[in-house]
Amino acid sequence: MTTKTYTRLELAADQLHAAVCLFITGRDRFSVITLAGAADVILSRLVLNSGQENFTDSIAQMEVEKGGRERPRAEVGKALNDMLLINEIKHFDPGDDGIVTVSDLDECAFAAILKGMANYVTLAGRKEDWVAAFFLWVKENMDPNKYNVNFDPEWESSAQDEQA
Amino acid sequence: MPNFQKYDIAKSQLETAVDLFFRGLSYHSVITLAGAASGILSGLVRAAGKETFVDYARRVHEGMRGHMPKRDSYAHHIEKILGISAHKHLSEKDTDTVELDLEHLAADALARAIADYVTLYGQHEPFVSAYLRWAWVKKDGPRMMELYEAVPENMRPKSE
Repeated sequence: MTTKTYTRLELAADQLHAAVCLFITGRDRFSVITLAGAADVILSRLVLNSGQENFTDSIAQMEVEKGGRERPRAEVGKALNDMLLINEIKHFDPGDDGIVTVSDLDECAFAAILKGMANYVTLAGRKEDWVAAFFLWVKENMDPNKYNVNFDPEWESSAQDEQA
Repeated sequence: MPNFQKYDIAKSQLETAVDLFFRGLSYHSVITLAGAASGILSGLVRAAGKETFVDYARRVHEGMRGHMPKRDSYAHHIEKILGISAHKHLSEKDTDTVELDLEHLAADALARAIADYVTLYGQHEPFVSAYLRWAWVKKDGPRMMELYEAVPENMRPKSE
């Protein structure tokens, strides 16, 4: 028996770290989503507790700036989690057909990590090796037309332009 | 669009959890993944008309304490005991820190998920038999079976 004291940030960071490792080594995407999603629940609250806006708040604000209606944080958060399958892959409720449909599982897992990572960086920065390694991996391996690999705040996806 | 069966999703999460557990990489992640797999597997066990780990625990509670706790509240209670709740929830009122025996909790969270997996699909998958063999050695299987023999019939799992 080895009981130790852990901060909430440690609980979240360890899970996000594991999600990143599983993702970049091509392991199970559902596990990546579950771990990044669990970490993000903790991180989102810790960001709010620190008096800052969390990632969900940023998305809600972005929607308003683009002419959308103002929505409560909980509603936006649920919509994001539903889109990323975070809730669907940890429940089987009565009447459930037992099938999960997703257009791009890799993209879902990557987005789940990015959501958690945005909140983690707000709290702890990029000083940890595994965080720096993740951002470097993204820059080296992800499509720069589709993803903001340099994390430029002015960046816009050319892939979206092509689809429009 | 591609479809995935929840059975496969639970199996993948549980297999990853067992792998992380044996390699000692992240007990935090083992707890969360085993919890997520249990969330699906317990629903599948109920849908199959069989007894879940939680329902068996409720029946044991009734036998020992005289009343059957509600399923949702007892499932929540078990998730709290196993550290699963602390790894996926945080409210404004929660403490800044939490005390956990991670390896012990990870092993127990796996035991719960594996129990429901075995009820549905047996012990044949390598990750399942690996965990069961580990548990047999680490938890003193022969002694556990001695104790089990003394358990009255009506207090044993229905899946037997």
